[in-house]
Order: sequence, then C-alpha cells, then structure tokens
Amino acid sequence: MNGAGIMLMAGDIPQGSLCSTDQVSAFIEESLFALGEGPCVDAYRLDRPVLEPDLANAATPRWMAFTGPVLEVGVRAIFGFPLRVGGVRLGALNLYRDRPGALTADQHADALAMADIATRAVLVMQSNAPLGQIAVELSTGADFEYVVHQASGMVAAQLDVSVGQALIRLRAYAFGNARPLRAVAEDVVARRLRLDCGSEKDPTP
Amino acid sequence: MSTQLERTGEDLMWREQSIVRTFVELTDTLVEDFDVVELLTVLAARCVEVLDVAAAGLMLVSPDNELRVIASSSEAMRLLELFELQSEEGPCTECFATGSSVVHPRLSEGDLRWPRFSPRALEAGFQSVQALPMRLRGQTIGALNLFRTDTGSLTEADMTTAQAFADVATIAILQNRAASEAQAVNDQLNHALNSRIVIEQAKGMVAERDGLDMDQSFRRLRSYARSHNLRLVDVACSVIDGSLGTGSLDPKAARREA
Repeated sequence: MNGAGIMLMAGDIPQGSLCSTDQVSAFIEESLFALGEGPCVDAYRLDRPVLEPDLANAATPRWMAFTGPVLEVGVRAIFGFPLRVGGVRLGALNLYRDRPGALTADQHADALAMADIATRAVLVMQSNAPLGQIAVELSTGADFEYVVHQASGMVAAQLDVSVGQALIRLRAYAFGNARPLRAVAEDVVARRLRLDCGSEKDPTP
Repeated sequence: MSTQLERTGEDLMWREQSIVRTFVELTDTLVEDFDVVELLTVLAARCVEVLDVAAAGLMLVSPDNELRVIASSSEAMRLLELFELQSEEGPCTECFATGSSVVHPRLSEGDLRWPRFSPRALEAGFQSVQALPMRLRGQTIGALNLFRTDTGSLTEADMTTAQAFADVATIAILQNRAASEAQAVNDQLNHALNSRIVIEQAKGMVAERDGLDMDQSFRRLRSYARSHNLRLVDVACSVIDGSLGTGSLDPKAARREA
C-alpha cells in the first residue's frame, strides 16, 4: 500500500479528513470531499468494503468525476473500508496503491482490523471531548475544509441563495474550471474571485 | 416436570433442540429493536421449559448500583424477588454480592441463612433455590434465580446449561450497552462537526456583507452571542437562515438602537 486516509462522514456526506499519510492520500480525501463520491463514500453508504483493484479499467468506470483526477496523480488501485461498530457508522478508511491489483486475503483482513482500531480510537477520543465540541486529538491534523464552508457563506451572500445552494455553485464552478474545490474556496475567501460577476470565468487561467 | 432418570431418548432430543433454539434467540441481539427486558423474559421462560425448575427470574444492577427485578417466569416469582430485594437477603442478592453461584437445596422455616426470605419462599411453594451470576471478566451485572418445588440441587447438566444461558445473555447485554454508547458518542461528534460548519458559513456571510475578514466576523458573531446570552451556534444558524440580519451584529448598530 502506498498511502491511507480516514474520512469522517455524517448523513451520507463527507465531513472532513481526519488524517492522511501523504500528498496523494490528501488529494484523494480532498476529491472525496469536493465531489461527494469515491470508495469511502460508497463504503460508508453500502456499509461494506468497496474494492477497486484497477481504476484505469474502462470496463468498470465506477465514479464519474472522481476517477479521472485521481488516476492523474498516480493512483491505480483504491479501497474503502467502513469505520463501524455494531450499527454505528463513522466514516471510512481509504487505501491506495500506485499499481493495479487486488488485496490479498491477509491485506484485506489487516485493513478490516485497522478500520476497527481507527473506529474505536475515534470513539474513545471523542468520548472525552466537551459537549458540542470535536475532541482536540481529532481536530489536530484533521482537515474539515473550513475554508469551503466560509466560501459557501460568502457566495450565499453574493448570490442571495442558501448556503447549500452556494456550496453547489462552488462545486460546479470548481468542476467546470477543472480546479480543486479548496483552491476556488480560498480565492473566494481572499476576495480574488466572486461568483456574482456574470461569466464565472477563472481569474487565473 | 421430569427428572433426569425418567427422560427418554425423545425427551433428550427435545431438550437439546430447546437449548439450541434458546441460544439462537439469546444471540439474536444485533437486530435494531433489541430490548433487554424481552431478552431476559425469553431467558426466564426458557429456563422453566428446559431446566428442572419451577420458576426463574432475573435481576440486573442499575447504574446507581441497585439490583432491580427485570424478568420473572411467574407472578409468584416476581413478588418473591421483590421481597428479596426489600429484605436485602436471599439467593440473588448473595450471588450478586459474591459474583459466584449460590445453592440452597433445602429451605426451612427456621433458616439462619435467610431468616426473612426462606419462610416467604416456602409459603410461595418453593423448597430449594439457586442463583447464578451474570458475569463477564470480573464485571457482575446481575443474577439468574432458579427456584424448585422439590428439595435438592440441580443436576450438573442443568447447572452448566443455566450458566451458559446466563453467560450469553450477559454478553448480549454488554454488547448492546457498548453499541448504544458508541451511538451516543457518534451523535455528539456529528453535532459538533455540524455546529462548526454552521459557524464557518455564518462567518463567510458576515464577512461578505460587512466587508470584514474571517477573524473580525467571528469576533462579531461571538460578541453578539455573549451580549445576548445565546449560543454561538444558534446565532450562526439565525444568520444563515436570514432570521438575523448581519447588520444587527454590528456593535455600532446595536449602540444606535439603544
């Protein structure tokens, strides 16, 4: 395996990345968050491991928006394992490899054990947190993409729409201009980009 | 009630099937509507069906460390168990206190062991009692009471089966407790994540409307929450749904109003 990351989910929506081991994993997590699709999202929703041993196999295109960019940064095989205990689901563990191939039985078993450990660790950490707050141990090093939510608030004010609609507009803009959602959000927050200026063209071609 | 000696081959097969069915029922706890009272009521009924006992009852310890009657196979049994708790003596309380099984094969009127409990049990028609702990790795969560209308103790086979029933029920209850706790922590985590998102969105909205940076708009939200004795997340929600105009967050506007 080349890298791993853990995505927290709630209500079928990625909430943020708890951790990632390397830049590619961080990019995977960012794409999951930005696009709302990918192995972690499926693993969480289906409540079972989701295995894609060859992303480049055109016969099984699984994720419309997620697959292309992730292939481009060198990911060939990707695996999602739900973080769960009993009926409780927290998110998913994400593993990737730069060459195609299925997991061996041992690797599969190890991944399940790792997902289990991660689940328990998250619950233990959060059980000590003050009510209404995220445990410090969890938020340190985590990326909850706050800048995207700040940008949603700004765009909602610019376009006089709800924050939910604003997030959709941001996602559409990022996808239409083939730019990462976070970079677009950073531009909005830094006031380099407004979405109420007609053409919605990228200011930095 | 048949004794061990009278059992025919058919009886034994029926008994084995009953035991297996009971285990399946007791372990069927991952279903969503798992209910402790129902589990223990099933257990009490199956004990009477499968074991050589006239009545069975279960007590569990509450969070404030008091034993409570949860299930009984008959009303007479339930009343006797309630009496046992009131008088603070008897097989179940003793079993729970020691964490090991308790056997009294011959109850008598002038019983020194349980002077208040024994006469009441005899009055209800019971001649002998046993209690088995509901215990996992040093943690005792309750006890299983088994009462007979004859004197003497249970056969070893019945004791083993009864303890196995109690063990499986214990594991089921503890696992269900762990799952509920995990659910509560997860709900709390989701709530915290959502609160944080709502606050970030409100920061963005205030920043855009009033030409502030994120820190300034956060301070504005926070001081409004403090001066109006509101939770920050509630103020943020009101800003986002438009019920609180960003203009009224401005301290200057507040002064003008006053």
